[in-house]
Amino acid sequence: MELSRSWRVIGHLVLLTCCLAVAAPVAVVLATALKSPSEVFQPSLWPSAPTFDNFATLFGKARFADYLWNSVATTVLRVSGQLVIALLAAWAFARFAFRGRDTLFAMVLGAMMIPHLLTMIPVYILMARLGWFDTWAALIIPNLAMPFAVFLLRQHMLAFPRDLLDAAEMDGAGPWRALWRVVVPNLAPALSALTIILFVECWNEYFWPLLVTETEASRTLQMGLREFLESDGYSDFGAMMAGVALASVPAVALFLILQRRVMDTFVASGLKG
Amino acid sequence: MSDAAFAPGAAAEGIPSAAARLPLRLRLAGVAPWLYLAPTLLGLGIFVYWPLIHTVALSMTEWNLNPDQPARFVGLENYGRVASSTLFEHAWVNSLIYVGASIPLKVLAPVPLAVFVWSLGARGHAYRAILFLPTLISFVAVAIAFLWILNPIFGYAKAWLGEIGVRLPALLTDADTAIWTIIAISSWKVMGFNMLLYLAGLASINRDLIEAMRMDGASDGVILRRLILPLLTPTLFFVLISTVIFTIQQVFTPIDILTGGGPQNSTTNLFHMVYQYTFVTFDVGAGAAGTVMLFALLMAVTAAQILTLDRRVEYGR
Repeated sequence: MELSRSWRVIGHLVLLTCCLAVAAPVAVVLATALKSPSEVFQPSLWPSAPTFDNFATLFGKARFADYLWNSVATTVLRVSGQLVIALLAAWAFARFAFRGRDTLFAMVLGAMMIPHLLTMIPVYILMARLGWFDTWAALIIPNLAMPFAVFLLRQHMLAFPRDLLDAAEMDGAGPWRALWRVVVPNLAPALSALTIILFVECWNEYFWPLLVTETEASRTLQMGLREFLESDGYSDFGAMMAGVALASVPAVALFLILQRRVMDTFVASGLKG
Repeated sequence: MSDAAFAPGAAAEGIPSAAARLPLRLRLAGVAPWLYLAPTLLGLGIFVYWPLIHTVALSMTEWNLNPDQPARFVGLENYGRVASSTLFEHAWVNSLIYVGASIPLKVLAPVPLAVFVWSLGARGHAYRAILFLPTLISFVAVAIAFLWILNPIFGYAKAWLGEIGVRLPALLTDADTAIWTIIAISSWKVMGFNMLLYLAGLASINRDLIEAMRMDGASDGVILRRLILPLLTPTLFFVLISTVIFTIQQVFTPIDILTGGGPQNSTTNLFHMVYQYTFVTFDVGAGAAGTVMLFALLMAVTAAQILTLDRRVEYGR
Protein backbone atom coordinates (compact mmCIF):
# COMPACT_ATOMS: atom_id res chain seq x y z
CA MET A 1 0.00 0.00 0.00
CA GLU A 2 1.36 3.41 -0.93
CA LEU A 3 0.68 6.15 1.57
CA SER A 4 0.82 9.81 0.71
CA ARG A 5 4.13 11.53 1.36
CA SER A 6 3.08 13.47 4.44
CA TRP A 7 1.61 10.38 6.12
CA ARG A 8 4.81 8.49 5.38
CA VAL A 9 6.88 11.17 7.10
CA ILE A 10 4.60 11.25 10.12
CA GLY A 11 4.60 7.45 10.33
CA HIS A 12 8.38 7.23 10.27
CA LEU A 13 8.68 9.98 12.87
CA VAL A 14 6.27 8.24 15.25
CA LEU A 15 7.96 4.87 14.83
CA LEU A 16 11.43 6.33 15.22
CA THR A 17 10.25 7.93 18.47
CA CYS A 18 8.97 4.54 19.64
CA CYS A 19 12.25 2.87 18.72
CA LEU A 20 14.12 5.58 20.59
CA ALA A 21 11.88 5.00 23.62
CA VAL A 22 12.83 1.31 23.51
CA ALA A 23 16.51 1.88 22.82
CA ALA A 24 17.16 4.67 25.33
CA PRO A 25 16.61 2.61 28.51
CA VAL A 26 18.72 -0.20 27.02
CA ALA A 27 21.50 2.29 26.30
CA VAL A 28 21.27 3.76 29.82
CA VAL A 29 21.55 0.28 31.38
CA LEU A 30 24.60 -0.63 29.28
CA ALA A 31 26.29 2.74 29.81
CA THR A 32 25.75 2.63 33.58
CA ALA A 33 26.94 -0.97 33.78
CA LEU A 34 30.24 -0.05 32.10
CA LYS A 35 30.94 3.06 34.16
CA SER A 36 33.39 3.32 37.02
CA PRO A 37 31.91 4.13 40.44
CA SER A 38 33.11 7.75 40.25
CA GLU A 39 31.24 8.28 37.02
CA VAL A 40 27.98 6.44 37.68
CA PHE A 41 26.16 9.48 38.96
CA GLN A 42 26.98 11.60 35.90
CA PRO A 43 24.34 11.44 33.21
CA SER A 44 26.66 11.04 30.21
CA LEU A 45 25.56 8.31 27.83
CA TRP A 46 29.00 6.86 27.31
CA PRO A 47 31.57 6.02 30.01
CA SER A 48 34.87 7.87 29.52
CA ALA A 49 36.80 4.75 30.50
CA PRO A 50 34.63 1.65 30.10
CA THR A 51 35.30 -0.95 32.76
CA PHE A 52 33.98 -4.35 33.75
CA ASP A 53 34.47 -3.63 37.48
CA ASN A 54 30.72 -3.67 38.07
CA PHE A 55 30.45 -7.19 36.75
CA ALA A 56 33.35 -8.18 38.98
CA THR A 57 31.41 -6.76 41.94
CA LEU A 58 28.48 -9.02 41.08
CA PHE A 59 30.60 -12.13 41.17
CA GLY A 60 32.86 -11.05 44.01
CA LYS A 61 30.84 -9.14 46.58
CA ALA A 62 27.41 -10.51 45.65
CA ARG A 63 26.68 -14.14 44.87
CA PHE A 64 25.78 -13.87 41.20
CA ALA A 65 27.81 -16.97 40.39
CA ASP A 66 25.34 -18.97 42.50
CA TYR A 67 22.36 -17.19 40.99
CA LEU A 68 23.61 -17.74 37.45
CA TRP A 69 24.29 -21.41 38.10
CA ASN A 70 20.83 -21.91 39.64
CA SER A 71 19.17 -20.16 36.70
CA VAL A 72 21.09 -22.07 34.04
CA ALA A 73 20.70 -25.47 35.71
CA THR A 74 17.01 -25.18 36.59
CA THR A 75 16.16 -23.73 33.19
CA VAL A 76 17.96 -26.52 31.32
CA LEU A 77 16.48 -29.26 33.49
CA ARG A 78 12.99 -27.81 33.51
CA VAL A 79 12.76 -27.10 29.78
CA SER A 80 14.12 -30.56 28.88
CA GLY A 81 11.66 -32.17 31.26
CA GLN A 82 8.79 -30.12 29.92
CA LEU A 83 9.63 -31.09 26.34
CA VAL A 84 9.89 -34.84 27.06
CA ILE A 85 6.72 -34.97 29.15
CA ALA A 86 4.75 -32.91 26.64
CA LEU A 87 5.99 -35.09 23.74
CA LEU A 88 4.77 -38.22 25.50
CA ALA A 89 1.35 -36.77 26.28
CA ALA A 90 0.92 -35.27 22.82
CA TRP A 91 1.82 -38.64 21.30
CA ALA A 92 -0.81 -40.38 23.44
CA PHE A 93 -3.44 -37.94 22.20
CA ALA A 94 -2.34 -38.05 18.57
CA ARG A 95 -1.50 -41.74 18.11
CA PHE A 96 -3.92 -43.71 20.31
CA ALA A 97 -7.68 -44.01 20.46
CA PHE A 98 -8.83 -44.74 24.01
CA ARG A 99 -11.81 -44.16 26.21
CA GLY A 100 -11.88 -40.72 27.82
CA ARG A 101 -9.36 -39.23 25.41
CA ASP A 102 -11.43 -36.19 24.47
CA THR A 103 -12.35 -35.49 28.09
CA LEU A 104 -8.71 -35.67 29.12
CA PHE A 105 -7.64 -33.42 26.28
CA ALA A 106 -10.28 -30.91 27.34
CA MET A 107 -8.78 -31.06 30.85
CA VAL A 108 -5.35 -30.29 29.45
CA LEU A 109 -6.77 -27.34 27.51
CA GLY A 110 -8.60 -26.21 30.64
CA ALA A 111 -5.34 -26.22 32.61
CA MET A 112 -3.89 -23.90 29.96
CA MET A 113 -6.45 -21.30 31.00
CA ILE A 114 -5.60 -21.50 34.70
CA PRO A 115 -2.76 -19.15 35.60
CA HIS A 116 -0.27 -19.95 38.35
CA LEU A 117 -1.59 -17.26 40.58
CA LEU A 118 -4.77 -19.25 41.18
CA THR A 119 -2.95 -22.36 42.39
CA MET A 120 0.03 -20.88 44.21
CA ILE A 121 -1.17 -21.08 47.82
CA PRO A 122 -1.81 -24.85 47.96
CA VAL A 123 1.31 -25.59 45.90
CA TYR A 124 3.30 -23.41 48.30
CA ILE A 125 1.87 -25.36 51.26
CA LEU A 126 2.71 -28.62 49.49
CA MET A 127 6.32 -27.48 48.98
CA ALA A 128 6.51 -26.65 52.69
CA ARG A 129 5.20 -30.11 53.66
CA LEU A 130 7.67 -31.83 51.32
CA GLY A 131 10.52 -29.70 52.66
CA TRP A 132 11.36 -28.53 49.15
CA PHE A 133 11.95 -24.85 49.86
CA ASP A 134 15.27 -23.61 48.49
CA THR A 135 15.72 -26.67 46.29
CA TRP A 136 15.83 -27.01 42.52
CA ALA A 137 12.97 -29.49 42.84
CA ALA A 138 10.61 -26.70 43.93
CA LEU A 139 11.61 -24.62 40.90
CA ILE A 140 11.36 -27.50 38.44
CA ILE A 141 8.79 -30.12 39.39
CA PRO A 142 5.57 -28.09 39.88
CA ASN A 143 6.01 -26.66 36.37
CA LEU A 144 6.94 -29.81 34.47
CA ALA A 145 3.51 -30.55 33.00
CA MET A 146 3.00 -27.85 30.40
CA PRO A 147 -0.48 -27.88 28.81
CA PHE A 148 0.41 -25.38 26.11
CA ALA A 149 3.29 -27.57 24.95
CA VAL A 150 1.04 -30.65 24.84
CA PHE A 151 -1.49 -28.74 22.79
CA LEU A 152 1.05 -27.36 20.32
CA LEU A 153 2.87 -30.68 19.80
CA ARG A 154 -0.38 -32.60 19.38
CA GLN A 155 -1.42 -30.21 16.61
CA HIS A 156 1.87 -30.81 14.82
CA MET A 157 1.65 -34.58 15.28
CA LEU A 158 -1.87 -34.68 13.85
CA ALA A 159 -0.57 -32.88 10.78
CA PHE A 160 2.22 -35.42 10.46
CA PRO A 161 2.10 -37.38 7.15
CA ARG A 162 0.31 -40.67 7.76
CA ASP A 163 2.42 -42.49 5.15
CA LEU A 164 5.63 -41.98 7.09
CA LEU A 165 4.09 -43.47 10.22
CA ASP A 166 2.69 -46.41 8.27
CA ALA A 167 6.08 -47.04 6.70
CA ALA A 168 7.68 -47.03 10.15
CA GLU A 169 5.12 -49.50 11.48
CA MET A 170 5.62 -51.77 8.47
CA ASP A 171 9.28 -51.85 9.38
CA GLY A 172 8.22 -53.13 12.76
CA ALA A 173 8.59 -49.97 14.82
CA GLY A 174 6.15 -49.80 17.73
CA PRO A 175 4.62 -46.51 18.88
CA TRP A 176 7.57 -45.84 21.20
CA ARG A 177 10.18 -46.19 18.48
CA ALA A 178 8.02 -44.37 15.94
CA LEU A 179 7.82 -41.42 18.32
CA TRP A 180 11.55 -41.05 18.93
CA ARG A 181 12.91 -42.22 15.58
CA VAL A 182 10.35 -40.83 13.15
CA VAL A 183 8.18 -38.14 14.70
CA VAL A 184 10.62 -36.22 16.90
CA PRO A 185 13.34 -35.73 14.24
CA ASN A 186 10.69 -34.37 11.89
CA LEU A 187 9.24 -32.00 14.47
CA ALA A 188 12.51 -30.07 14.83
CA PRO A 189 11.09 -26.67 13.78
CA ALA A 190 8.13 -26.93 16.15
CA LEU A 191 10.35 -28.20 18.95
CA SER A 192 12.89 -25.42 18.56
CA ALA A 193 10.11 -22.82 18.56
CA LEU A 194 8.63 -24.37 21.67
CA THR A 195 12.03 -24.50 23.34
CA ILE A 196 12.46 -20.77 22.80
CA ILE A 197 9.12 -20.01 24.46
CA LEU A 198 9.72 -22.35 27.40
CA PHE A 199 13.25 -21.05 27.85
CA VAL A 200 12.26 -17.38 27.98
CA GLU A 201 9.33 -18.12 30.26
CA CYS A 202 11.48 -20.08 32.70
CA TRP A 203 14.48 -17.77 32.60
CA ASN A 204 12.38 -14.68 33.27
CA GLU A 205 10.10 -16.26 35.87
CA TYR A 206 9.56 -14.08 38.88
CA PHE A 207 6.64 -14.96 41.11
CA TRP A 208 7.19 -18.62 41.87
CA PRO A 209 10.91 -18.35 42.72
CA LEU A 210 9.96 -15.40 44.92
CA LEU A 211 7.84 -17.75 47.03
CA VAL A 212 10.07 -20.81 47.25
CA THR A 213 13.63 -19.49 47.40
CA GLU A 214 14.49 -18.00 50.76
CA THR A 215 18.21 -18.65 51.16
CA GLU A 216 20.74 -16.76 49.07
CA ALA A 217 22.36 -19.92 47.73
CA SER A 218 19.08 -21.11 46.18
CA ARG A 219 18.11 -17.94 44.32
CA THR A 220 17.82 -17.63 40.57
CA LEU A 221 19.16 -14.67 38.63
CA GLN A 222 15.86 -12.79 38.66
CA MET A 223 15.60 -13.25 42.43
CA GLY A 224 19.24 -12.27 42.75
CA LEU A 225 18.45 -8.95 41.07
CA ARG A 226 15.67 -8.32 43.59
CA GLU A 227 17.92 -9.34 46.47
CA PHE A 228 20.75 -7.10 45.27
CA LEU A 229 18.35 -4.20 44.80
CA GLU A 230 17.28 -4.47 48.42
CA SER A 231 20.78 -4.87 49.84
CA ASP A 232 23.12 -2.72 47.72
CA GLY A 233 21.22 -1.66 44.64
CA TYR A 234 20.30 1.83 45.76
CA SER A 235 23.88 2.72 46.60
CA ASP A 236 25.64 0.86 43.80
CA PHE A 237 23.64 1.47 40.65
CA GLY A 238 26.61 0.54 38.45
CA ALA A 239 26.64 -3.04 39.71
CA MET A 240 22.84 -3.10 39.74
CA MET A 241 22.70 -2.25 36.03
CA ALA A 242 25.44 -4.80 35.33
CA GLY A 243 23.13 -7.36 36.94
CA VAL A 244 20.21 -6.22 34.80
CA ALA A 245 22.35 -6.55 31.68
CA LEU A 246 23.59 -9.98 32.75
CA ALA A 247 20.06 -11.26 33.38
CA SER A 248 18.89 -10.02 29.98
CA VAL A 249 21.79 -11.32 27.91
CA PRO A 250 20.64 -14.89 27.18
CA ALA A 251 17.18 -13.99 25.90
CA VAL A 252 18.48 -11.05 23.86
CA ALA A 253 21.33 -13.14 22.41
CA LEU A 254 18.84 -15.80 21.41
CA PHE A 255 16.87 -13.11 19.67
CA LEU A 256 19.83 -11.66 17.80
CA ILE A 257 20.75 -15.13 16.51
CA LEU A 258 17.27 -16.28 15.58
CA GLN A 259 15.38 -13.02 15.01
CA ARG A 260 12.74 -14.18 12.61
CA ARG A 261 11.99 -17.48 14.30
CA VAL A 262 11.76 -15.95 17.77
CA MET A 263 9.33 -13.27 16.65
CA ASP A 264 7.17 -15.66 14.65
CA THR A 265 7.11 -18.12 17.52
CA PHE A 266 5.97 -15.61 20.10
CA VAL A 267 3.37 -14.13 17.81
CA ALA A 268 1.98 -17.53 16.89
CA SER A 269 1.69 -18.53 20.53
CA GLY A 270 0.17 -15.24 21.64
CA LEU A 271 2.18 -15.52 24.87
CA LYS A 272 3.38 -12.25 26.29
CA GLY A 273 6.82 -12.35 27.87
CA MET B 1 12.73 -54.32 19.05
CA SER B 2 11.39 -57.63 20.36
CA ASP B 3 8.45 -57.38 17.97
CA ALA B 4 10.69 -57.27 14.93
CA ALA B 5 12.79 -60.20 16.15
CA PHE B 6 9.73 -62.24 16.94
CA ALA B 7 7.77 -61.74 13.76
CA PRO B 8 9.42 -64.30 11.42
CA GLY B 9 9.28 -67.09 14.03
CA ALA B 10 5.63 -66.43 14.77
CA ALA B 11 4.80 -66.54 11.08
CA ALA B 12 6.60 -69.87 10.66
CA GLU B 13 4.77 -71.46 13.59
CA GLY B 14 1.42 -70.41 12.17
CA ILE B 15 -1.64 -68.69 13.49
CA PRO B 16 -2.08 -70.20 17.00
CA SER B 17 0.98 -68.53 18.51
CA ALA B 18 -0.01 -65.18 17.01
CA ALA B 19 -3.47 -65.59 18.50
CA ALA B 20 -1.96 -66.48 21.86
CA ARG B 21 0.03 -63.29 21.78
CA LEU B 22 -2.95 -61.15 20.87
CA PRO B 23 -4.58 -60.72 24.29
CA LEU B 24 -1.31 -59.53 25.84
CA ARG B 25 -0.72 -57.05 23.01
CA LEU B 26 -4.27 -55.83 23.29
CA ARG B 27 -3.92 -55.37 27.00
CA LEU B 28 -0.64 -53.51 26.47
CA ALA B 29 -2.22 -51.35 23.79
CA GLY B 30 -4.97 -50.43 26.24
CA VAL B 31 -2.49 -49.37 28.91
CA ALA B 32 0.04 -47.70 26.61
CA PRO B 33 -1.65 -44.30 26.15
CA TRP B 34 -2.07 -44.03 29.90
CA LEU B 35 1.61 -44.62 30.44
CA TYR B 36 2.44 -41.87 27.95
CA LEU B 37 -0.02 -39.57 29.66
CA ALA B 38 0.90 -40.38 33.25
CA PRO B 39 3.49 -37.63 33.86
CA THR B 40 1.28 -34.90 32.41
CA LEU B 41 -1.86 -36.08 34.20
CA LEU B 42 -0.02 -36.41 37.51
CA GLY B 43 1.52 -32.97 37.10
CA LEU B 44 -1.73 -31.26 36.19
CA GLY B 45 -3.66 -33.14 38.86
CA ILE B 46 -1.23 -32.38 41.68
CA PHE B 47 -0.20 -28.86 40.69
CA VAL B 48 -3.24 -27.40 38.90
CA TYR B 49 -6.58 -29.08 39.54
CA TRP B 50 -6.15 -30.23 43.12
CA PRO B 51 -4.79 -26.82 44.23
CA LEU B 52 -7.78 -25.16 42.61
CA ILE B 53 -10.15 -27.18 44.83
CA HIS B 54 -7.84 -26.82 47.82
CA THR B 55 -7.90 -23.03 47.38
CA VAL B 56 -11.69 -23.00 47.65
CA ALA B 57 -11.45 -25.11 50.82
CA LEU B 58 -8.76 -22.82 52.29
CA SER B 59 -10.88 -19.76 51.54
CA MET B 60 -13.38 -21.00 54.12
CA THR B 61 -10.84 -21.44 56.92
CA GLU B 62 -8.82 -19.29 59.25
CA TRP B 63 -5.16 -20.29 59.26
CA ASN B 64 -1.75 -18.61 59.51
CA LEU B 65 0.40 -21.12 57.54
CA ASN B 66 1.71 -22.55 60.81
CA PRO B 67 1.67 -26.37 60.44
CA ASP B 68 1.31 -26.86 64.22
CA GLN B 69 -1.87 -24.86 64.31
CA PRO B 70 -4.95 -26.47 62.74
CA ALA B 71 -7.05 -24.50 60.28
CA ARG B 72 -10.43 -23.45 61.67
CA PHE B 73 -13.56 -23.57 59.49
CA VAL B 74 -15.22 -20.15 59.29
CA GLY B 75 -17.57 -20.50 56.32
CA LEU B 76 -17.86 -17.50 54.06
CA GLU B 77 -16.57 -15.06 56.67
CA ASN B 78 -13.27 -14.46 54.81
CA TYR B 79 -15.09 -13.27 51.70
CA GLY B 80 -17.02 -10.68 53.65
CA ARG B 81 -13.89 -9.62 55.50
CA VAL B 82 -11.84 -9.22 52.30
CA ALA B 83 -14.63 -7.50 50.37
CA SER B 84 -15.14 -4.90 53.08
CA SER B 85 -11.43 -4.15 53.64
CA THR B 86 -9.91 -0.89 52.39
CA LEU B 87 -7.09 -2.91 50.80
CA PHE B 88 -9.62 -4.72 48.62
CA GLU B 89 -11.30 -1.46 47.69
CA HIS B 90 -7.96 -0.01 46.54
CA ALA B 91 -6.96 -3.23 44.80
CA TRP B 92 -10.26 -3.47 42.95
CA VAL B 93 -10.32 0.16 41.81
CA ASN B 94 -6.65 0.02 40.81
CA SER B 95 -7.21 -3.19 38.86
CA LEU B 96 -9.90 -1.39 36.89
CA ILE B 97 -7.51 1.52 36.27
CA TYR B 98 -4.73 -0.82 35.15
CA VAL B 99 -7.05 -2.65 32.76
CA GLY B 100 -8.89 0.49 31.60
CA ALA B 101 -5.68 2.38 30.85
CA SER B 102 -4.18 -0.59 29.05
CA ILE B 103 -6.90 -0.53 26.38
CA PRO B 104 -5.96 2.75 24.67
CA LEU B 105 -2.21 2.37 25.39
CA LYS B 106 -1.56 -1.30 24.72
CA VAL B 107 -4.49 -2.35 22.53
CA LEU B 108 -5.44 0.63 20.35
CA ALA B 109 -2.20 2.60 19.98
CA PRO B 110 -0.32 -0.24 18.26
CA VAL B 111 -2.98 -0.51 15.50
CA PRO B 112 -1.90 2.51 13.41
CA LEU B 113 1.76 1.63 14.04
CA ALA B 114 1.15 -1.88 12.72
CA VAL B 115 -0.73 -0.65 9.66
CA PHE B 116 2.12 1.71 8.86
CA VAL B 117 4.86 -0.91 9.32
CA TRP B 118 2.80 -3.30 7.21
CA SER B 119 2.57 -0.72 4.43
CA LEU B 120 6.37 -0.62 4.38
CA GLY B 121 6.58 -4.33 3.57
CA ALA B 122 10.00 -5.90 4.07
CA ARG B 123 11.54 -2.49 4.71
CA GLY B 124 9.75 -2.39 8.07
CA HIS B 125 11.82 -5.24 9.49
CA ALA B 126 14.14 -3.05 11.57
CA TYR B 127 11.17 -1.48 13.31
CA ARG B 128 9.76 -4.89 14.15
CA ALA B 129 13.03 -6.16 15.55
CA ILE B 130 13.64 -3.14 17.77
CA LEU B 131 10.09 -2.87 19.07
CA PHE B 132 10.01 -6.60 19.86
CA LEU B 133 13.02 -6.42 22.18
CA PRO B 134 11.14 -5.52 25.42
CA THR B 135 9.12 -8.74 25.13
CA LEU B 136 12.20 -10.83 25.86
CA ILE B 137 13.65 -8.84 28.75
CA SER B 138 12.39 -9.95 32.14
CA PHE B 139 10.01 -7.63 33.90
CA VAL B 140 12.35 -7.53 36.91
CA ALA B 141 15.17 -6.21 34.76
CA VAL B 142 12.84 -3.69 33.12
CA ALA B 143 11.48 -2.47 36.45
CA ILE B 144 14.92 -2.06 38.00
CA ALA B 145 16.21 -0.26 34.92
CA PHE B 146 13.39 2.26 35.17
CA LEU B 147 13.96 2.60 38.90
CA TRP B 148 17.42 3.90 38.02
CA ILE B 149 16.33 6.05 35.07
CA LEU B 150 13.57 7.67 37.13
CA ASN B 151 15.71 8.04 40.26
CA PRO B 152 14.65 11.48 41.54
CA ILE B 153 18.19 12.54 42.49
CA PHE B 154 20.65 10.93 40.08
CA GLY B 155 18.48 9.45 37.34
CA TYR B 156 19.01 10.05 33.63
CA ALA B 157 15.43 11.24 33.20
CA LYS B 158 16.07 14.02 35.71
CA ALA B 159 19.26 15.13 33.96
CA TRP B 160 17.76 14.99 30.48
CA LEU B 161 14.57 16.77 31.45
CA GLY B 162 16.70 19.31 33.32
CA GLU B 163 18.39 20.19 30.02
CA ILE B 164 15.07 21.38 28.65
CA GLY B 165 14.09 23.03 31.91
CA VAL B 166 11.58 20.47 33.20
CA ARG B 167 11.80 19.35 36.81
CA LEU B 168 11.25 15.60 37.26
CA PRO B 169 8.89 14.91 40.16
CA ALA B 170 9.37 11.85 42.39
CA LEU B 171 7.00 9.78 40.27
CA LEU B 172 7.07 6.53 42.24
CA THR B 173 6.69 7.91 45.74
CA ASP B 174 3.71 10.13 44.91
CA ALA B 175 0.35 8.37 45.28
CA ASP B 176 -1.09 10.32 42.32
CA THR B 177 1.61 9.44 39.79
CA ALA B 178 2.93 6.02 40.89
CA ILE B 179 0.20 3.95 39.25
CA TRP B 180 0.56 5.84 35.96
CA THR B 181 4.29 5.28 36.00
CA ILE B 182 3.73 1.54 36.34
CA ILE B 183 1.13 1.64 33.55
CA ALA B 184 3.61 3.45 31.30
CA ILE B 185 6.36 0.92 32.04
CA SER B 186 4.10 -2.06 31.40
CA SER B 187 2.96 -0.44 28.14
CA TRP B 188 6.61 -0.04 27.20
CA LYS B 189 7.04 -3.78 27.76
CA VAL B 190 4.06 -5.01 25.76
CA MET B 191 3.30 -2.48 23.01
CA GLY B 192 5.75 -3.81 20.46
CA PHE B 193 4.53 -7.33 20.97
CA ASN B 194 0.93 -6.33 20.35
CA MET B 195 2.04 -4.49 17.23
CA LEU B 196 3.55 -7.75 15.96
CA LEU B 197 0.28 -9.56 16.67
CA TYR B 198 -1.52 -7.02 14.51
CA LEU B 199 1.11 -7.45 11.81
CA ALA B 200 0.41 -11.19 11.84
CA GLY B 201 -3.26 -10.38 11.36
CA LEU B 202 -2.48 -7.95 8.56
CA ALA B 203 -0.26 -10.48 6.81
CA SER B 204 -3.32 -12.56 6.01
CA ILE B 205 -4.96 -9.71 4.06
CA ASN B 206 -4.77 -10.30 0.34
CA ARG B 207 -2.98 -7.36 -1.25
CA ASP B 208 -4.83 -7.96 -4.52
CA LEU B 209 -8.00 -6.77 -2.79
CA ILE B 210 -6.30 -3.44 -2.10
CA GLU B 211 -5.16 -3.11 -5.70
CA ALA B 212 -8.70 -3.88 -6.87
CA MET B 213 -10.15 -1.21 -4.58
CA ARG B 214 -7.59 1.29 -5.73
CA MET B 215 -8.45 0.59 -9.35
CA ASP B 216 -12.02 1.41 -8.45
CA GLY B 217 -10.75 4.77 -7.23
CA ALA B 218 -10.83 4.17 -3.46
CA SER B 219 -8.61 6.46 -1.39
CA ASP B 220 -6.25 5.30 1.38
CA GLY B 221 -8.78 6.36 4.00
CA VAL B 222 -11.55 4.32 2.41
CA ILE B 223 -9.31 1.25 2.06
CA LEU B 224 -8.35 1.57 5.72
CA ARG B 225 -11.93 1.95 6.95
CA ARG B 226 -13.68 -0.49 4.66
CA LEU B 227 -11.10 -3.23 4.24
CA ILE B 228 -8.18 -3.22 6.66
CA LEU B 229 -9.90 -2.38 9.94
CA PRO B 230 -12.79 -4.83 9.49
CA LEU B 231 -10.35 -7.63 8.66
CA LEU B 232 -8.27 -6.69 11.69
CA THR B 233 -11.19 -6.86 14.15
CA PRO B 234 -10.70 -10.53 15.15
CA THR B 235 -7.03 -9.85 15.93
CA LEU B 236 -8.09 -6.80 17.89
CA PHE B 237 -10.34 -8.92 20.07
CA PHE B 238 -7.60 -11.43 20.65
CA VAL B 239 -5.11 -8.68 21.58
CA LEU B 240 -7.69 -7.11 23.88
CA ILE B 241 -8.36 -10.27 25.88
CA SER B 242 -4.75 -11.39 26.10
CA THR B 243 -3.70 -7.90 27.17
CA VAL B 244 -6.33 -7.83 29.93
CA ILE B 245 -5.09 -11.17 31.26
CA PHE B 246 -1.48 -10.01 30.97
CA THR B 247 -2.28 -6.81 32.82
CA ILE B 248 -4.02 -8.58 35.69
CA GLN B 249 -1.11 -10.98 36.19
CA GLN B 250 2.20 -9.57 35.08
CA VAL B 251 1.87 -6.11 36.58
CA PHE B 252 2.61 -7.84 39.88
CA THR B 253 6.33 -7.73 39.13
CA PRO B 254 6.72 -3.95 38.66
CA ILE B 255 4.37 -3.34 41.60
CA ASP B 256 6.48 -5.55 43.83
CA ILE B 257 9.80 -4.07 42.67
CA LEU B 258 8.89 -0.41 42.28
CA THR B 259 6.34 0.42 44.96
CA GLY B 260 5.40 -2.68 46.96
CA GLY B 261 1.77 -1.68 46.40
CA GLY B 262 2.23 1.77 47.99
CA PRO B 263 2.25 4.67 48.54
CA GLN B 264 -0.96 4.31 50.56
CA ASN B 265 -2.06 1.26 48.51
CA SER B 266 -2.25 3.48 45.43
CA THR B 267 -0.60 0.91 43.12
CA THR B 268 -1.72 -2.42 44.58
CA ASN B 269 -3.94 -4.69 42.47
CA LEU B 270 -5.94 -7.84 43.24
CA PHE B 271 -3.00 -10.15 42.62
CA HIS B 272 -0.72 -8.10 44.84
CA MET B 273 -3.47 -8.02 47.48
CA VAL B 274 -3.59 -11.83 47.49
CA TYR B 275 0.19 -11.89 47.84
CA GLN B 276 0.08 -9.47 50.77
CA TYR B 277 -2.66 -11.35 52.60
CA THR B 278 -1.06 -14.76 52.16
CA PHE B 279 2.68 -14.25 52.25
CA VAL B 280 3.13 -10.97 54.11
CA THR B 281 0.48 -11.14 56.84
CA PHE B 282 0.01 -14.97 56.65
CA ASP B 283 -3.76 -14.65 56.52
CA VAL B 284 -4.25 -17.68 54.29
CA GLY B 285 -8.06 -17.67 54.44
CA ALA B 286 -8.27 -14.10 53.18
CA GLY B 287 -5.62 -14.78 50.53
CA ALA B 288 -7.52 -17.83 49.28
CA ALA B 289 -10.81 -15.91 49.28
CA GLY B 290 -9.15 -13.17 47.20
CA THR B 291 -7.81 -15.87 44.84
CA VAL B 292 -11.29 -17.29 44.32
CA MET B 293 -12.60 -13.80 43.50
CA LEU B 294 -9.75 -13.34 41.01
CA PHE B 295 -10.58 -16.74 39.58
CA ALA B 296 -14.16 -15.64 38.89
CA LEU B 297 -12.89 -12.50 37.19
CA LEU B 298 -10.36 -14.38 35.04
CA MET B 299 -12.93 -16.99 34.06
CA ALA B 300 -15.21 -14.25 32.79
CA VAL B 301 -12.36 -12.85 30.70
CA THR B 302 -11.38 -16.32 29.49
CA ALA B 303 -14.94 -17.10 28.45
CA ALA B 304 -14.85 -13.95 26.37
CA GLN B 305 -11.53 -15.14 24.92
CA ILE B 306 -12.98 -18.50 23.87
CA LEU B 307 -15.89 -16.74 22.18
CA THR B 308 -13.55 -14.43 20.25
CA LEU B 309 -11.26 -17.31 19.29
CA ASP B 310 -14.27 -19.01 17.71
CA ARG B 311 -14.89 -15.84 15.74
CA ARG B 312 -11.29 -15.82 14.61
CA VAL B 313 -11.57 -19.35 13.28
CA GLU B 314 -14.71 -18.48 11.35
CA TYR B 315 -12.96 -15.55 9.74
CA GLY B 316 -10.21 -17.84 8.53
CA ARG B 317 -12.60 -19.94 6.46
